[in-house]
Amino acid sequence: MVMKGTARLSVAIPLGLLGLVLLVLPRLIGTDYYLHVAIVSLVFVILATSLDLLVGYSGLLSLGHTAFFAFGAYAAALLYLHFGVPLWGTMFASGAFAAVIAWLLGLLVLNVRGHRFVITTVIFAEIGRLIAYNWTDLTNGQIGLPGIRPPVLDIPGLLHIDFGVRSAYYYLALAVAAVSVSIIWRVTHSPVGWRMLALRENERLAEASGVDTRQIATTAFVSSAFFAGLAGALYAHYTGFVSPDLFYFTYTTTMLIMVFLGGKGTIIGPVIGAVLFTILPEALRVAANYRLMIFSLILLLLVVFAPEGLVGLFNRLRLRFTGRKKTANA
Amino acid sequence: MDFIPQYVFNGLVVGCSYALIAVGLTAIFGLMEIANFAHGQFYMLGAYFSYWLTRIVGLDFWTGLVASIVGVMLLGVILERTLFRLLRGASLSSSVLATIALSIFLENLALNVWGPRPQKILSPFETGSIEFLGIFTTPERLLMLFVTVLIVILLHLGLRHTQTGKAIRATFQQREAAALVGIDIDRLYTLTFAIGAGLAALAGVLLGTIFVVQPSMGGIATLKAFVVVTLGGISSFAGGIAGGLVLGLAESFGAIIAPAYKDAVGFILVMLVLLYKPDGLFGKKWS
Repeated sequence: MVMKGTARLSVAIPLGLLGLVLLVLPRLIGTDYYLHVAIVSLVFVILATSLDLLVGYSGLLSLGHTAFFAFGAYAAALLYLHFGVPLWGTMFASGAFAAVIAWLLGLLVLNVRGHRFVITTVIFAEIGRLIAYNWTDLTNGQIGLPGIRPPVLDIPGLLHIDFGVRSAYYYLALAVAAVSVSIIWRVTHSPVGWRMLALRENERLAEASGVDTRQIATTAFVSSAFFAGLAGALYAHYTGFVSPDLFYFTYTTTMLIMVFLGGKGTIIGPVIGAVLFTILPEALRVAANYRLMIFSLILLLLVVFAPEGLVGLFNRLRLRFTGRKKTANA
Repeated sequence: MDFIPQYVFNGLVVGCSYALIAVGLTAIFGLMEIANFAHGQFYMLGAYFSYWLTRIVGLDFWTGLVASIVGVMLLGVILERTLFRLLRGASLSSSVLATIALSIFLENLALNVWGPRPQKILSPFETGSIEFLGIFTTPERLLMLFVTVLIVILLHLGLRHTQTGKAIRATFQQREAAALVGIDIDRLYTLTFAIGAGLAALAGVLLGTIFVVQPSMGGIATLKAFVVVTLGGISSFAGGIAGGLVLGLAESFGAIIAPAYKDAVGFILVMLVLLYKPDGLFGKKWS
């Protein structure tokens, strides 16, 4: 009991401290520019953790994750512009829309694994971009759809929050990201998550042990798409603008770098990766032309020399440290 | 209906370039089991080397063509000996991500060296358009067709009748067994990689005389090549060629029906093939 208590405490204290820092962050950093970086990094936290569900836990390397993000953003834009639905509604509608698309796509692409799965997911994102680009009546083509406003929370006589104010939107994004990450965390640490791991490690063995791998793959695919769609709505209402560029492969690579930089299959890793990899590009703004070359080199080195990412590196160091301590005691 | 032969012809020309790129991709995948997402960059670099050698350095077209192919092959050898050797036996996600990173690197390298503006490789021919049997064409397009046919014949003969070709086929079927009977796997990998890169570069130079040369062309080519390879059946030599031609024709006719969705035709084809014939249209034998 004591052990469990201290273990809980050792998690609770850093988590509480982190929460406190995140809550007072707008006071600490003040300027709008840094708040903007913080909001964007929160959107990517949702994207990277939802991708981790697929790539890290289920072992399904999807290269089309940004398509669900983009479909979500478009759904939010259209719902807002045509029907005036605020973020509270579009968030869930976008998530559901992306999830339905993922379910339909899954009927097809979850028949195949390995490189075929990889290739079809890239192709899927490309088809999405072509639709957004060419269906001009609906999407306005390359020009995109502007004018998606953040919501205003108004309870007469009680409170009035305009989320058009950047610090207010920061808290909103923080809340959505925190809830999303904790749901994803719960899923991965439940029997469903264990089955995903079984699917990743050895699909045949999992099947022989009674795991319905097809169903688990579908669950992972659909739920990761749901969160990506939700992130799309959060992003659309923040930037106020959607365009076919959201389908670009660069977005998918960015998300993958975040997952691999932090450490795939850990949830906490992609969170760290998302924050670091939103700040890093901003810091590298001076070397704008060479930015993508530097990113790709980072990704290359990571994949070849540190495939478990920062979390893996940290664990290895800690293991070495504690391991030495034990031998010293003995 | 008299426009149909014209569309068939145009589709075949584009299909030839797809086939040339896809053959290398297939060979590398079949032999080394690495899905090389940077393969299209060899096509892009081939075109840029040729542009640079002919327009800036001032070589003539044919010397430039050979020199660019050799240059890209050398780059292929260097990459195979370093990065791809590290990736041998790595997981699918590692090799896919590493080659994606490589492709981003090469594309942005080209962007920084040659700029984003589309360029053109000067054609070696004086004549403009040619007409036969009611089909309009240019000497550059005929060259593309001719070279592809030649390459296919050479590859076929090489695989059938030379010692190396037999070794490649043996390794393709059973890597360990091939190594046991004394086939030098490392040398074969390097050779296959170099030939694959060289063929992509060749396609880049020839297509650069017909269309334009720009840094983003590599990424699209990679995607198209994967479409071709999936259509034809992954790791099938004949499938790569046939898949290329099928895609070229499908796009050409797709352009009549819905011009804006021309590029989607191939993608939808792939989805259908994966649904009904997951091994591709042409099975999975190497011959």
